[in-house]
Amino acid sequence: MLIGSLEGIMGNGLSSHNPLVMLLFVVIYAVGVLIIMSAFAYVFGWIERKIIAKIQLRHGPNQVGKYGILQNLADIVKLISKEKAVPSNADRSLFILAPQLMLSLMVFLILLVPIFPSLQVANFGLSMLAIFVLLGFSPLILFVIAFSSGNKFADLSAQRSVLMLMSYEIPMIITVASVFLVSNSYNIQSIVAMQSKTWFAIMLPIGFIVFFIAMLAELERPPFDLMEADSELIAGWLTDVSAPYYAIALFIDYTRMFLGGLLISILFLGGWNGPILPPTVWLIVKAFVIAIFIIIIRASTVRMRIDRVLRLGWVWLIPLALINLVMAYVLFG
Amino acid sequence: MSITRINIGPIHPSTHGVCRLVVDVDGDTIVKVEPHIGFLHRGVEKLVENRMYMQCPPYMEKLDYVAPMSMDDLYVGAVEAALGVEVKERAKYVRVILLELQRLASHLFLIGSVGNDLGLMFTMFMWAFKDRDLILKLLEEATGQRMFYVNMRLGGLVNTLPKDFEEHTIDTLEGLEKRLKKYQAFLEKNPIFIERMKGVGVLKKEDAIDLGVTGPVLRASGVRYDVRKNNPYYVYRELNFSEKVLYDGDNLARFRVRILEMYESMRLIRAAFEKMPEGDEKGMPIRLITPKAKNRIVVVNREVPRGEGLIYMVADPEKAYRLSIRAPSFINLAALEHITKGARIADLFAIFGSLDLVMADVDR
Repeated sequence: MLIGSLEGIMGNGLSSHNPLVMLLFVVIYAVGVLIIMSAFAYVFGWIERKIIAKIQLRHGPNQVGKYGILQNLADIVKLISKEKAVPSNADRSLFILAPQLMLSLMVFLILLVPIFPSLQVANFGLSMLAIFVLLGFSPLILFVIAFSSGNKFADLSAQRSVLMLMSYEIPMIITVASVFLVSNSYNIQSIVAMQSKTWFAIMLPIGFIVFFIAMLAELERPPFDLMEADSELIAGWLTDVSAPYYAIALFIDYTRMFLGGLLISILFLGGWNGPILPPTVWLIVKAFVIAIFIIIIRASTVRMRIDRVLRLGWVWLIPLALINLVMAYVLFG
Repeated sequence: MSITRINIGPIHPSTHGVCRLVVDVDGDTIVKVEPHIGFLHRGVEKLVENRMYMQCPPYMEKLDYVAPMSMDDLYVGAVEAALGVEVKERAKYVRVILLELQRLASHLFLIGSVGNDLGLMFTMFMWAFKDRDLILKLLEEATGQRMFYVNMRLGGLVNTLPKDFEEHTIDTLEGLEKRLKKYQAFLEKNPIFIERMKGVGVLKKEDAIDLGVTGPVLRASGVRYDVRKNNPYYVYRELNFSEKVLYDGDNLARFRVRILEMYESMRLIRAAFEKMPEGDEKGMPIRLITPKAKNRIVVVNREVPRGEGLIYMVADPEKAYRLSIRAPSFINLAALEHITKGARIADLFAIFGSLDLVMADVDR
């Protein structure tokens, strides 16, 4: 991956003969991207609170900073400064390790998804495939957190997470396969380049819908937020997670949604292609539009039940995903 | 799969008060739910024995903090029956108007919390509460208080209605009626909502009668029983009240019955304003109460928003010798174990919420 990223940057005309200098440059650049992505995720968290408040006829955060923009920061500072409580019957090492594992996973994901198309941290042949491999890990880590906390609500949540995994991961991968089939590549750059004329959302409308629904489930957004169903499971896998670990969970929650928006726009909405405005702006605008749509869904629908999610996955999503794959092969393959 | 026992409550995001549920689940399916109650027990029935009649309404209002006036009216009704006080003709109409407004407020609370129980975090809740607030404003206009009104006096009310109360009420109801249609459409046009509500927590007609549930829960199971119809008090007969009955007995029916009742309440309020005679609705000031109790044993029942409220009172001349309240929430809670059997854990609180319980009323 590192070599890929070196090549990626060198390919953009930033080459040096000293490998150490290059390595240093990559690290600095990666940290920079991380900070920028986190900032977007942060703004996104604020937008979510504001939009939901508007829909619910409330004001939303409006005390900390201008328009409450610093509210999330205050929350995170508060959470980090709290006592790290670990439940007595938890598997201590796993319970502490798993959220950090999740954070590092998120960092990898952030580095893989480009927001500056010409300056991608890690650009290599299988970059899109790598994203989905990493993305597939995150429910497993949730599962580990849930089981290690030794809480019965978390246990129920863990059981649900496995069932959920069965219902949405398969259609998602099948739809992504159809994109790979049409674009003939696993690389983000070439997938986006293929969409410079027509978006894949127009070429593969069924695939777009299936992928969007599966992505909602992947991001644990309503109506698929069964794992932290607060009305029955208190907070599901997060029930015993507190202080800095909860701060990590909050950060991950917002980052994941921003990432989800980016992924949907890269795979189906033409990525950074667009007239007049610079590519980065297009990408971020698309990601935000998707994310705002996800927020509106959150504010307006009730939660599905696990048996219904399974039904949706196996009766609707998987057949539709297969139809989409066949169509992609017949029409554009 | 082995059976897991989970302990929900007494402090939990969605128990509608302090109720502890010990739930045995087999995977995701409920085997048994055992409600543990008594966290809010204050011994109101005993407190009443040590106080004069008209010192007690404030205690009664705290029994049902979602619809305080209904419980107040139930108690004052019992005292009136014991002392043999006739309610003034205009006061009957005003009481009906205020009680139906209270019922609207109470049912709006339910419509809001239905969303929350199903995982629609607070959108419906906030909308419904905005409207509930408008109704509470009306009640404040009429009684001077937003929540605990203590506005019932023997034979009437504590003060007369303000001049433009009728106009304000009609305006508010007009807006509410429109929005209520929107709320119902917002929820019911969502296939997930229907999926979660239809056929969940079914209470059959025979079981409903056996378990003794009352109110909207009973009427959603297809039983035509409403105290306002079967044992009319005040002017419900003159206003041609008709009870609302649905037959499915599931969560959706319980939800819809309440919405139908809200439309009926609005109709009643409008009709009451039209038919209301001129005159005075003030009751006896508390200080001047002299009548001694005439009837030794009194049984009074009223249709409070949660079901049939009933007071059995053994009256002494100046205070109650014994008082026993049939709390609708308490009896309706008894149905929980029956209707949650075999349901999913995710539906537990949807069912719990659809019974519309107030824990203070359960524990007394």
